[in-house]
Amino acid sequence: MSVQNIYAGVVEFNIDKVVSLVEAEIKNGTDVSEILSNGLIAAMDEVGQRYSEGEFFVPEMLMAAKAMKAGLEVLKPLLSQGESEKKGTIIIGTVKGDLHDIGKNLVSMMMEGAGFEVYDLGVDVDTEKFLATAKEKKADVICMSALLTTTMPFMEVTVKAIREQGLSFKTMVGGAPVSEDFAKKIGADGWSTDAPGAVETARKLTAK
Amino acid sequence: MEFTKLFSQSEVERVHEASLEILENVGMMVRNQKALTIFAINGCRVDMETMMVKFPREVVEKARKTFVPTYTFTAQDPKFDVTMPGDRPIVVTGSSAPNIIDPETGEERRATSDDIANIAYLINELPGFDVFSISTLADDAPEGQFSLSRFYPALKNCKKPVRSNTPNMEDLKAVLELGALIAGGEEEYRKRPFINHHYCPVVSPLTFDVESTEAVIYLLEEGLPVYGTIVPNAGMTSPLSLMGTLTLGNAEFLGLATLTQMIRPGAPMIYAVLSTVADMRTGAYAPGAIETGMLQMAHTEMARYYNIPSGGYIGLTNAHSNDAQSGYETGMNTTGALLAGADLFNMGGLLGSLMAFDFAKAVIDNEIALMLKRMKKGFEYSEENLCLDLIAKVGPGGSYMDLDHTMKNMRTIAVLPKVATREMRRRWEDQGKPDAHSRAMKEAAKILSKPNKSRFSEELDAKVRGHFKGLVAGDAKWSL
Repeated sequence: MSVQNIYAGVVEFNIDKVVSLVEAEIKNGTDVSEILSNGLIAAMDEVGQRYSEGEFFVPEMLMAAKAMKAGLEVLKPLLSQGESEKKGTIIIGTVKGDLHDIGKNLVSMMMEGAGFEVYDLGVDVDTEKFLATAKEKKADVICMSALLTTTMPFMEVTVKAIREQGLSFKTMVGGAPVSEDFAKKIGADGWSTDAPGAVETARKLTAK
Repeated sequence: MEFTKLFSQSEVERVHEASLEILENVGMMVRNQKALTIFAINGCRVDMETMMVKFPREVVEKARKTFVPTYTFTAQDPKFDVTMPGDRPIVVTGSSAPNIIDPETGEERRATSDDIANIAYLINELPGFDVFSISTLADDAPEGQFSLSRFYPALKNCKKPVRSNTPNMEDLKAVLELGALIAGGEEEYRKRPFINHHYCPVVSPLTFDVESTEAVIYLLEEGLPVYGTIVPNAGMTSPLSLMGTLTLGNAEFLGLATLTQMIRPGAPMIYAVLSTVADMRTGAYAPGAIETGMLQMAHTEMARYYNIPSGGYIGLTNAHSNDAQSGYETGMNTTGALLAGADLFNMGGLLGSLMAFDFAKAVIDNEIALMLKRMKKGFEYSEENLCLDLIAKVGPGGSYMDLDHTMKNMRTIAVLPKVATREMRRRWEDQGKPDAHSRAMKEAAKILSKPNKSRFSEELDAKVRGHFKGLVAGDAKWSL
C-alpha cells in the first residue's frame, strides 16, 4: 500500500520521499482525500502520539510536520474547496509586544499537519489584525501565543473585543506562562500545554 | 580570590572575533525605527526596508572604548546603594512571575499587589538580598495601572534598589512619574534614580524588538539607569552547542552594548545573560539545568575580557516546590557562577522556571546568598590569620573554645544559617521533623508578622495616592 508508505515517509520525516510518493499516488489515480486522511494526517497523529510518549523529541516532530506539509503542498491544488475547509480555519499569531514565536510556529505546523487551513500572522500581532484577518478568512478559531508574562494581558483584550463585537470566533491561548486558569479567567475557549494538545483542542472547538 | 577560567586567552579572543564576524556578516534584525536610525547615523550598514543592520567591526570596537567597569544600583535609602564589581555578589530576586504559591494553602494562584507588598517587605529585611526585582505581576491591577500596581507596593515597602520592567512607554512614564513623586521632584529623582530599569530588548537569534528597545533608548537618552539581559536558548533560538550559544549570545550582547554606547558613551552596563539549553525532549525551558551555570561562567569570562560587570538570571530552578531539585539547581549554578567571577545573581524566590514566587524559596535563597557572600569573602589570607602564636600557645591536646580569639570571631567567621538544620536527629524528630521549606516559612512569618518600619511615611503615601487615583492598597499584611 503506497498510502501506507506516505504515512511511513512522514513518520521518518523524509521530505523527498513524501513528495515523490504523493506525486506517484496522484498519478495512480488514488483518491486525494484518501492520501490526505490515511497518509498525511494519520501519520501526524502517530507523530503526536510518539511525541506524547517521549519517543520523539521536538525537532523530530517539527521535521515530520515539515514533511507532511511538503506532501500537502503537492496535494493542495487537487483538493476541492470543501476538502480543505471542512477541518476548520485557524488564525494564529504571537500577541502584541511579543516576538517569541518558536512555540507558536510549532503549533502552526501541527495544525496544518492536522489538515486545518492555517493563517499565521507572525509576531507582535494586535487585536485589530487578529480580527480583520479572522473576518476576511471566515476563521473558526483565533490562536494567540505569548511568552512574556507582561504581554499576556493582550490576549484578554482580543477575547473581549470578540465578545463586544458579537463575533463567533473561538479563541485558544498558549505559551509558557499561560495556564488553564488564566485561559478560563480571560474567557478563552481553549488552552493547551503543548502543540499536539493544541491540535486536539482545536479539533474539539471546530467539531460540528 | 582567583577566578575559575574555562578558556585560554586566545580562545577568549576567538569568541570575540567570531562575534564580530556574526555582527558584520550576518547582522541583526532591528524592529525599532529609532534604533535603526541610531545604527545608521553611527556607521552601521542599515537596510531600512528589511530592518537588517550589519556592524562593521570598527563600529563595535569604537563602542568598546567607552565601556565602563562599574554599575551602580541606587536605592531609596542611600545605605542600600550597591556598586559592582566592588560589592559583588549582588543578589537580586527573580522577577515578573505571574503566579505565587499561596502561603496559606500551598497552592499556586495568580499573584496580586498585596503579595508584592509582602514580598517587598520580606526582601527589605533579608540581609542576603541587595536588590528587589519585582517578583510577580499584580493580577488585581486596575485598568491602566498594570505597572503602577507593581512598582507602588514595591517602592512603598522596600528601601533597597527596586528593579523591574514595563511593557510599554505609557507604563514606563507612569512609573517614572511615581519615582519623581517619591523623590520630591523630577530633578531630585534624577540625582538618585532608585528605579532600576531592566529589559530584554534582544530576542534571540539576533533580533531587536519594538517596545523594549524603545524603552531602553528612551532611558539612555534621559540618562537614567537601564540594562538588558541576553537570553539565547540552545536548540531553539541558538545553536545546540555550548560554544555556539556562548558566541551567539556574546554577539547579541555586543550588539546591545554598541547601541547603548552610541546613544550615551560611557553609559554603565552589565553583561547580563540567561543563556540556556532547551530540553529537546519536550522543548521545555530549563533555566535550572547545569548548562545554564556553565554558560554563565563562560559569559562572565567574556565580560572580564571586556572589563564590565557580569551576571544574569543565575540560580533559577525548574522545581515546583522547595525540594532537593530546587536546592541543587540554585546551589550548583550560583556556586559555579561565583567562582567564575560573576557579579550579579538574579536568583531569588521563584519556582517552576520563573513561573511562581514562593516565600520559603526566597528565605532559602537568602541563605544561599549569604553562603555565596561568605565564599566571596574567602580566606582573608594574612600572616595574622595563620594563627601561629595561638597554635603554639594551645599546643597539642588543648582547646580553642575559651580563647579571646575564638570569642572575637565566633559570630562572623561562619555563616549561621536559620534554615539549615544542625540539630541531632532526636531533637529534630521532637520538633515534628520540619523540612527546609517549613523552617523557611517560619522565618518568613517571623519577619512579616511585624509591622514594616521601612514603609512610606503617611504623608508621602497620601501624596502618592492623591496623585494616582484608584491605586491598589499596596500594604504588607500577613495573616498566618
